[in-house]
Amino acid sequence: MTFDLAILGAGPAGAAAAVEASLLGMRSLVIDEQVAAGGQVYRASPPISSGDPDGDRLRASLAGCSASVRLVHRLWNVERDDDGFRLLAIGPEGAFEARARSLIVAAGAQERFVPFRGWELPGVMGLASATILIKAQRLLPGRNVVVAGAGPLLYAVAHGILDGGGRVVALVDAQPRSAWWMPDLLSRPDLLVRGMSWLAALRRAKVPILRASVVDAVAREGDGLSATVQGRAIACDAVCCGFGLMPATDVTRLLGATHSFDAALGGWHVVVDDQQRCDVPGLYAAGDVAGIRGAASAPHQGRIAARAVAGAAIGSTRERDGASRFGVAMNRAAQVGDYVISSIAPDVTMCVCERLPRSVIEAAIDDGCVTINDVKGATRCGMGPCGGRMCEDAVARLIAIKTSCTRRDVGMATGRPPLRPVALDAIAGDFDYEALPMPAPAPL
Amino acid sequence: MSDLRIGERGNPVAFYFDDARIEAFEGETVSSALWAHGIRGWEGGRAYFCAMGVCQQCTVWIDSARVEGCRTPVRNGMRVRSRP
Amino acid sequence: MGATAALRASEGGMRVVVIERDVAGAGASGVNAGTLSLQIKRVKLMPYALIGHEWWRSAGDAIGFKRTGGYTLAFNAREAEMLHDRMTQKRAAGAPIEFVTPRQVVTREPALCDRIVAASYCAEDGHADSTRTGTYLRGLLRDAGVELREHANVTHIDTREAGFRITAGSETTSSKRLLLAAGAWTAPLASLLDVALPIRVRTNTVTVTEPGPVHLHAGVGHATGLLTLKQKSNGSYLIGGGWQGTGSPEAGRGRVVADTLLQNLRLARFAVPATANVRVLRSWTGYEAYVPDYWPLAGVLPGVRDAYVLACVRGGYTIGPCIGPLVADLILGREPALPLFDPARAM
Repeated sequence: MTFDLAILGAGPAGAAAAVEASLLGMRSLVIDEQVAAGGQVYRASPPISSGDPDGDRLRASLAGCSASVRLVHRLWNVERDDDGFRLLAIGPEGAFEARARSLIVAAGAQERFVPFRGWELPGVMGLASATILIKAQRLLPGRNVVVAGAGPLLYAVAHGILDGGGRVVALVDAQPRSAWWMPDLLSRPDLLVRGMSWLAALRRAKVPILRASVVDAVAREGDGLSATVQGRAIACDAVCCGFGLMPATDVTRLLGATHSFDAALGGWHVVVDDQQRCDVPGLYAAGDVAGIRGAASAPHQGRIAARAVAGAAIGSTRERDGASRFGVAMNRAAQVGDYVISSIAPDVTMCVCERLPRSVIEAAIDDGCVTINDVKGATRCGMGPCGGRMCEDAVARLIAIKTSCTRRDVGMATGRPPLRPVALDAIAGDFDYEALPMPAPAPL
Repeated sequence: MSDLRIGERGNPVAFYFDDARIEAFEGETVSSALWAHGIRGWEGGRAYFCAMGVCQQCTVWIDSARVEGCRTPVRNGMRVRSRP
Repeated sequence: MGATAALRASEGGMRVVVIERDVAGAGASGVNAGTLSLQIKRVKLMPYALIGHEWWRSAGDAIGFKRTGGYTLAFNAREAEMLHDRMTQKRAAGAPIEFVTPRQVVTREPALCDRIVAASYCAEDGHADSTRTGTYLRGLLRDAGVELREHANVTHIDTREAGFRITAGSETTSSKRLLLAAGAWTAPLASLLDVALPIRVRTNTVTVTEPGPVHLHAGVGHATGLLTLKQKSNGSYLIGGGWQGTGSPEAGRGRVVADTLLQNLRLARFAVPATANVRVLRSWTGYEAYVPDYWPLAGVLPGVRDAYVLACVRGGYTIGPCIGPLVADLILGREPALPLFDPARAM
């Protein structure tokens, strides 16, 4: 079965693309591995109510359009040929395969982690992670939480914890107060007001706000944890720490599209033109995967991509660009200086999967490794189950600092299938040994 | 440890984690149920880190299949293990 | 290839520089499945394989060498006949291979399936951690005082006067002699000297699974050579066998082809049923150069004085440390202890 269009991701960009594609009469397929549409920003776990009308509206409109939506389907490979794309996924019923002439990647973003001592302990999580717990699972990360890092999620999570009945024992903002004075915040007065009300709530709750500070270390303390900030130990039962969002470029890397590094857009992102087209024929990208521009910009991008696929006039891009201003400003808020990387002690784990401390990575750099792929080959950093998604940014930044090169020079890790770990049986399926097409034996 | 759950829940669900009986609610992930129960980590894993199915820190075994706890909804009678 | 040739030439008194377009071990030697099995070596190349194998064995922990023993399996009558025929010849060529019964195999390795019809075993078979190759070779070259220039892509070779002036980036190196040992990238280098080597490239697929419980101790091969399967000490399976991806060295990294990957995985699954539930983490490809008659190019580069070539060695990971020094001996003006493979025959 060949679709006109396949859309990867049922978040704000993907859902909008699907709805638009339906209106334009295209036969489209949406694939998402979550149990419900909404991406991460409107994540939901029915029947738990996330209480988010925007998310509910997205889910309703996606369900109401004619797109074929495959939730709980994990895409593990995409291949391209002259006729389009072949998508290979695993769903609840086993292997799933589909073809589409065009492909819109709306895979969104993932969190940026910066390693610190103890970040591999249970009870430590990210800020986006905490948001998902609070909003989608209606669960507090802890009853006495340290919230740390940089970017808008810092205040969103702190407020979410207070609102859920928990205590924020400290809010540790890596940025000075001045980092938040950005004119572009005024482009969304509603969000600005919401942010100010969060700050007011934090003040009312007497939450200690430590600015220009980071969590240096987390250790087990009795049944809970102890976080060290500015030399002081803070008792807590959870630490939520994150440093902004990065585009989730797995699929676009795998398909060989050109990417560009731009700190203002969250780092490495796939390059698109004004019609959301990538430089690979038939491939489009919409939403945060094309650069972190936020949830308000994503639906515009999705619609434009769908219209571009259909060959329909895309209309003005002013709304999209206007909607992006706030999101891009939020990236600036999440950008912290090199010190968060250079201050990582030699024995602190950088690659959690392979248990590699900074010293091992540095030895490889001292030995002549200059790109992320060099370091990967020499140390196995990034070869574990997470595929480098937790550590690649920090390691790449370390390489850049030590070799005085740009992030562009350091490069991205090469994309390889499967896109996520998948059980061998799930992709190999049932087969008859005698029917396996075997090529000629190796020469004797 | 007082409850980490916020607000209402739907139907109760009970499953087993390493033979311990865990009470949870429909819609919760295995990771959430463990978290709310006070189990945040075990040897070689933790219930939540990225919460997005990316970091692979939350993998558990269900019927000899290794799955991500953060993306697996709880079901009645499920037998979940922290090791194969 | 290049590194061991360089080491021997340096031992022989020459001043050697190794010019590498990427980093040491970035090519086939760093991305292959690490199989060091005598059973998969070609009959005529067995004497070379035995010497190369010994080199890896003495590298020991530095390269993660493990002598695990290895089985070659046949699952039907046709494969059994092929197995018997091939292993008899390989044993005659010097490899310590014995035939074993299916019952013996399954008793020693219960993780193997119960559909084995015939099998052979070699106690010397094992594997190395190929990802460590680059670092290991870099260390050897450094200790031997051989200069290694990495991230140096050669774009021009000038032969107007005697010797060679090799330009890579902004640096030009002058040398009396030249050895091309660039694996799948050898032909473009030869064309800089106006020599058209008939080199073709295979794109071999390797897959690694997630660490987990260890079920399999010996290495596993297939009568046809189309499967190599081993389980590392952390439980990861490495699955290979020469299934073809797509791509070309000029265009960049190769790509895995889902259809061939799945066949490779099915073979592994058939041989070791316990692999059903392991999660596949990553598949990748590596380039392997060959010429139409499938024998190595090892000797004088046709038509160019004082130039040599070493490439297209099937089973090159094992054989490299043997044939590299042999070519160096030729360059040193000595008689190589084993015959080389004259590139002129392939032209």
